Amino acid sequence: MSEAPRSEYRGQIHQQQKDLMLHWYERLDESARTGNPPAVSLMISGNCIELLEGFGAVPLYPEVNALQLAIRHQSLDPILAAEELGYAADNCAYVKADIGAMIKGITPAGTPLPTPALVLCNFVGCNTYVKWFEHAAEFQGAPLAMLDVPFLRTAEPRAEDIDYVVRQLHEIVRQLEQITGRRFDMDRFREAVRCSARVEEAWSRIKNLARRTPSPFDAYFDAITLMGPLYVYRGSPEGVAFFELALKEMEEKVARGEGIYDQEKFRVVIEGPPPYPFFRSFRDMFATWKATAVASTYSTVGGLWEFGFRHDPDHPFESLALHMLAHNVTNRNYLQRYEQIRRYVEEWDADGIVIHFVKSCRLFSAGQGDMRDYFTRQLGVPTLYIESDLEDPRYFSEAQIKNRMDAFFEALEHSRSIGTLRRGAAALRHPAAGAGNAPVAGERLKILP
Amino acid sequence: MRLAAGVDVGSTQTKAVIVGDNGGLQMLGRALVDTGANVQRAAENGFIAACQQAGVSPQDVGYVVGTGYGRYKITFGNTQMTEISCHARGAHYLFPATRTVIDMGGQDSKAISVGAEGEVLDFVMNDKCAAGTGRFLANAAEVLGLGLDEIGPLSLEARHPVKITTVCTVFVESDILSYLAQGKKPEDILGGVHLAIARRTISLARRVPIEQAITMTGGVSRNIGMVRALEQVLGTKLEVGPDAHFAGAIGAALFAIEKMGESFESGIWRPADAAHTS
Ligand code: SF4
Repeated sequence: MSEAPRSEYRGQIHQQQKDLMLHWYERLDESARTGNPPAVSLMISGNCIELLEGFGAVPLYPEVNALQLAIRHQSLDPILAAEELGYAADNCAYVKADIGAMIKGITPAGTPLPTPALVLCNFVGCNTYVKWFEHAAEFQGAPLAMLDVPFLRTAEPRAEDIDYVVRQLHEIVRQLEQITGRRFDMDRFREAVRCSARVEEAWSRIKNLARRTPSPFDAYFDAITLMGPLYVYRGSPEGVAFFELALKEMEEKVARGEGIYDQEKFRVVIEGPPPYPFFRSFRDMFATWKATAVASTYSTVGGLWEFGFRHDPDHPFESLALHMLAHNVTNRNYLQRYEQIRRYVEEWDADGIVIHFVKSCRLFSAGQGDMRDYFTRQLGVPTLYIESDLEDPRYFSEAQIKNRMDAFFEALEHSRSIGTLRRGAAALRHPAAGAGNAPVAGERLKILP
Repeated sequence: MRLAAGVDVGSTQTKAVIVGDNGGLQMLGRALVDTGANVQRAAENGFIAACQQAGVSPQDVGYVVGTGYGRYKITFGNTQMTEISCHARGAHYLFPATRTVIDMGGQDSKAISVGAEGEVLDFVMNDKCAAGTGRFLANAAEVLGLGLDEIGPLSLEARHPVKITTVCTVFVESDILSYLAQGKKPEDILGGVHLAIARRTISLARRVPIEQAITMTGGVSRNIGMVRALEQVLGTKLEVGPDAHFAGAIGAALFAIEKMGESFESGIWRPADAAHTS
């Protein structure tokens, strides 16, 4: 097989993305040295970055730190340090890397991270967050606040759910005012929500460009690169400028008919987080086959905007609550995830699905066996299931994963050569009555727009 | 005649097949050698032996597809394909009615759902674990002091197969030792061992739709005890031919002749180290 072609997008935004992230680490460094701006720890899932803008605070995302360590092949040491402390083999490795790094004083940028003014556990979907942030607060000697976001049990969040979250947001505002001695700037907050809505509009349009053949970017690997600015700068003018430029560059690529390879051969939907310690090799496994991810669920952890949701500056608190409750993949239920993926296959014109099971992450991975059955048996979409981890390098077996990936794409290629491979809507077989035992997404639940 | 080869470098044994095409396809020769520590040499030796059996010169072979875990070590191959594609293709060639392939090899086992043209529709493999593979059987044979080719037939004589609860290749040893200490007969122990692997394999295989006809391939297909145990668990007959363990190499050779197309490429044969091939 030939060498994997280079596939990532390099335009102006490539450098800008780096600059933005560097600037973020500079602000964190400044915060560590002077306490100004104050830092607040947040979770990526359905994050409420806009609230922090109202205080001019800088977010500290433990997940981003953990994945940065993994990409730089530095995650194993802190994981082992945490295991020596007593963290079990089956604990989420993000937690272990983060806590281990704290103990050992390892940081992604090499400079110390600030002690957060508040460890704000925006508990969205994953209950590991609760314990993780309790421990982080303990180890850092920082105050802890719980923002309890009920899991989405119904198609739409109920009024009580929204009210419950809004009231907690107000409480957090009061708490942050006390801790930081700063007054919450309502205008700045509203402006941040307005910026977010613009970023979300641009981001959503970028994602929708991947419906084109060829797709101008990879909606998994390239999307992950864009996720940094999306979560750190969403509520700021820098974020708006960045994403509007990104949209322009992508539209130009579409106008030139440019994909990420000289010729796009396969279009897939990827479900699950990536193996960060082997990010490059994993990407190469797709690139070897000139396969583009046209959509991914992982890129919707922080927010799901391609189906229409936007923050609303006229109802800033309520829209934050709605975003946390219903418009991120983490807090949505499984049937909604099925439906999200099904729509990607149909509307983004995919040939198949790749499910990456991540040992660390029960939230993402529990039930993916059934998901595979649902897509292969009921919908007839070729679906590959592979396993490793997003942070712990010990669970990645390169030869085994590559073998499965190659077999999957060989099969797609073979099917195409004999004329049996279908794409997009044509790939979806109508669920046969009584086939299999997986629930039919959308049948019992109304799916959110 | 256009000649192509498939070389399947497995963890235990290397299989090579030569096919010829002059209007119709013909299997001309095959060879089986132990893989051993030198994977590259095993591939070369297997290929040469198959050429000899076919009565053709290695130089006349126009295209070689390598498969199996050692496929990237084949220095003289044109391309590599996974054993999943090759076993499906090979099984379909041997039994055109094949819709499911159960392949048990030395270090992995897999189930493949196959379409009407031998194309792979879906597959599952055992993960990061030797349970349900030839390795498990080899361990059991070793503990009992028996040869690998003896355990299958002996297991068929089991009257009261023991219950083997572990599927762990390492822990099965202590299970067997404790049954021996209890005075259980080797055939009953082996009956239990074969059933345990069969159950494990079939539970894996049920993740792809198991449809008739079911063809067994891979080295373990030569173990009659395993074939019967799988049939017992499945409640149906398996297609197992005398060439079943060559299925991967046959599939590779079929892909090779197809990929060769009309263009005949001579001089593919470039042994990495000519000295040891003479
Ligand atoms: S279990 Fe998953 S969602 Fe939860 S913290 Fe770990 S990686 Fe994140």
